[in-house]
Amino acid sequence: MKTFKGYRRADGSIGVRNHVIIINAAGELASLTKKIAQMVPGVIPVVHQAGQSHSQEDVEQTKKAIIGTAGHANVSAALFLGMGLDDSTNEIVEVLKMRGHSVHCIHLNKSTLISEAIKESKLWLEQALEKSKKEQRVTADIKELIIGLECGGSDAWSGITANPAIGSFSDAIVKDGGTSILAETTEAVGTEHILARRAINETVGQRFLDIVKRYEERARAAGEDIRVANPSPGNKTGGITTLEEKSLGCIKKGGNSTLMEVIDYAHRPKEKGFIFMDTPGYDVESVSGLVAGGAQIVLFSTGKGSPTGSPIAPVIKIGTNTNLFKNMPEHIDVNTGKIMDSNYSIEDSGEEIYRKVIDVANGEVTASEKHKNQEFSIWRLAETM
Amino acid sequence: MEYYFEGYPRSNGVAGTRNYVGIVSSVICSSAVVREISEKVQGTVPFVHANGCAQLGDDLVLTKNMLVGVASNPNIHSALIVGLGCETNQVSGLLKNIPKIKSIKGIGIQQLAGGENTIQKGIDITEKWVAEAKEQQREKLPLSSLTIGVLGVELDNDTLLATAPIIGKVVDKWTAEGVKVIVGMSKTLEPAGEVLAKRISDTAELEALVKSSEGMKRLRWDDTKNGSTTFKEFTVEQTQLALLESKMTGEKTINGILNYGEAPDKDGLHLMKTSSNVVESLSKMASAGCSAVVIVSSRGVLTGSIALPCITITSESDENAFDELVDYTITKSESTNHVESIMKMIQEVCSGKQTKLEELDLGEFSIPHLGTTY
Repeated sequence: MKTFKGYRRADGSIGVRNHVIIINAAGELASLTKKIAQMVPGVIPVVHQAGQSHSQEDVEQTKKAIIGTAGHANVSAALFLGMGLDDSTNEIVEVLKMRGHSVHCIHLNKSTLISEAIKESKLWLEQALEKSKKEQRVTADIKELIIGLECGGSDAWSGITANPAIGSFSDAIVKDGGTSILAETTEAVGTEHILARRAINETVGQRFLDIVKRYEERARAAGEDIRVANPSPGNKTGGITTLEEKSLGCIKKGGNSTLMEVIDYAHRPKEKGFIFMDTPGYDVESVSGLVAGGAQIVLFSTGKGSPTGSPIAPVIKIGTNTNLFKNMPEHIDVNTGKIMDSNYSIEDSGEEIYRKVIDVANGEVTASEKHKNQEFSIWRLAETM
Repeated sequence: MEYYFEGYPRSNGVAGTRNYVGIVSSVICSSAVVREISEKVQGTVPFVHANGCAQLGDDLVLTKNMLVGVASNPNIHSALIVGLGCETNQVSGLLKNIPKIKSIKGIGIQQLAGGENTIQKGIDITEKWVAEAKEQQREKLPLSSLTIGVLGVELDNDTLLATAPIIGKVVDKWTAEGVKVIVGMSKTLEPAGEVLAKRISDTAELEALVKSSEGMKRLRWDDTKNGSTTFKEFTVEQTQLALLESKMTGEKTINGILNYGEAPDKDGLHLMKTSSNVVESLSKMASAGCSAVVIVSSRGVLTGSIALPCITITSESDENAFDELVDYTITKSESTNHVESIMKMIQEVCSGKQTKLEELDLGEFSIPHLGTTY
């Protein structure tokens, strides 16, 4: 049995990190949130511009993403800054408290002095940090890991080296009873029939075809063609010529396992094994959704060299070629270019990734963590009103 | 009374009320690098946001326009654009569209082989520019070199009754002095549309107003039944509130309706469609060239814009506003000439006096989405 050591939470979930975070309920509070985080070293600010003047579907999606992030297994404690007007902080905090999470909300309203709110926030965060330092890692089965699969800044090697190697890892962890979530609906366009064939049953397969179709239709309704934005300029200089080509490379990350479930953005999988989440191809928004859905670690393949991470989950960068690894070593954790130039097989690289995943789960710091790449953004569906 | 302020003149005739070196990220992927450069070089401001890749059509155009606009803002002495390399919103495209009236450079993480090199390069460039900016002295300038924004935030009936007519008079004085004024309007635009339309002579601009207010109809969509959408009528209260808020535009001719990311090309009074998201609205004003914004609010807001001073004005009321955030309270005192007092207070802020939000170091930048990402 493969194991790792993590932090056991009240709701039974297990984290690979023990972060104390501060998160804003509305964009207006982003600046104050960052300011308070800076006052308590060790606290991570999770800031965003969502939470105000949304369409109804965005209100729901944002709420889901924030609950998933603040209540994540990698989070020891979360402080909310709310406006106390019509934001949904109270509801979110109640949901999380019921699950046994350590959360607290400070509302900025007319009767609170800002200086007092800052003082109260600081105090709560300092206590939460103290408490988090006493929490110990315990042994857990690899079955409890959920790994998100992402790519950003793809090149022509992505579909030949890094993505198949991630696919090999994905098959291995699924075989061991763990979970991997493939994402980026945009990059399933043109290959949807291949993944749908791998679905556990017709319902799951049809659901997958439906979300891909919905995506294309959403774009068409706005008078746009997804293919204009994708492949991106960087993909093209990297050697990718069409979206279909990019997609064929993208889905390689999912290996050959049976597709067990198709879930919405930021939703938690109910099944174990290989899962697909409906996210945009925009990597930062997609990673935020995967993590909100419970992924403790994200694998992120890159051909051009993308430094982005997540505020609460370690993101492991898988480079597609050795040139990139030599050029930007500070941003790459695993070089799968060895498949091209060092006689490595795809399975060898897959095993290297698996070892890396376990090391990182046990606490090894990734490139994106070292460089404080804490990008966070919630997928927006419609115009702000 | 002679009006003037002390600011930083730019070569295209406009003037800044602040003299920052801007560091602009083209995409979210370079935001950590932008923040780090800015933390290491005093005198710079970081323009980071969540956009820049996997965007299409109008949504992408707005992101581009707003970044070009904010780099061109008169408060920005010089601007460094920092990209990743593979993003949809390419640095080269931004550089091509920013008018060459100040020092502008672009760098990219992939081109410089990593974040550490990019941070070092960014520090080297901006340190030099900050030194130049510090050399520049404020000069006595006419108000006509200013563009000022006016934004209402959560205004109730009582606050509007006390503030809107006074703000309207300030706006009239400004336009008489040649200030470009941009009044932000969100929910008010449609119910007050007919009244505002009477003050527009240019037919193209009138059409733009109608188009902008049409978009607002989404706010009052009724449930879609049997495939057809019906509109709820505005209530009497909604219409009255809107008419009251529109008094903030004063009484002069409206010269233009600004589209997303558009800067005024005429003098005088302009309207801009904003949303009830304060950060996005202030960012739109910064991108349209405002060098200061007046926020009129019943509560005070918790953040300003990172590019410009935001002056918060409220009215005297039983409920305490965020006192620590308010720069001017319109009292019920008959003996005070609020119009002149506000003119003077804003002149001081434009000449360098810090606003309450600046003292607390609260400022943001954000770009709205017009559609989803892909």
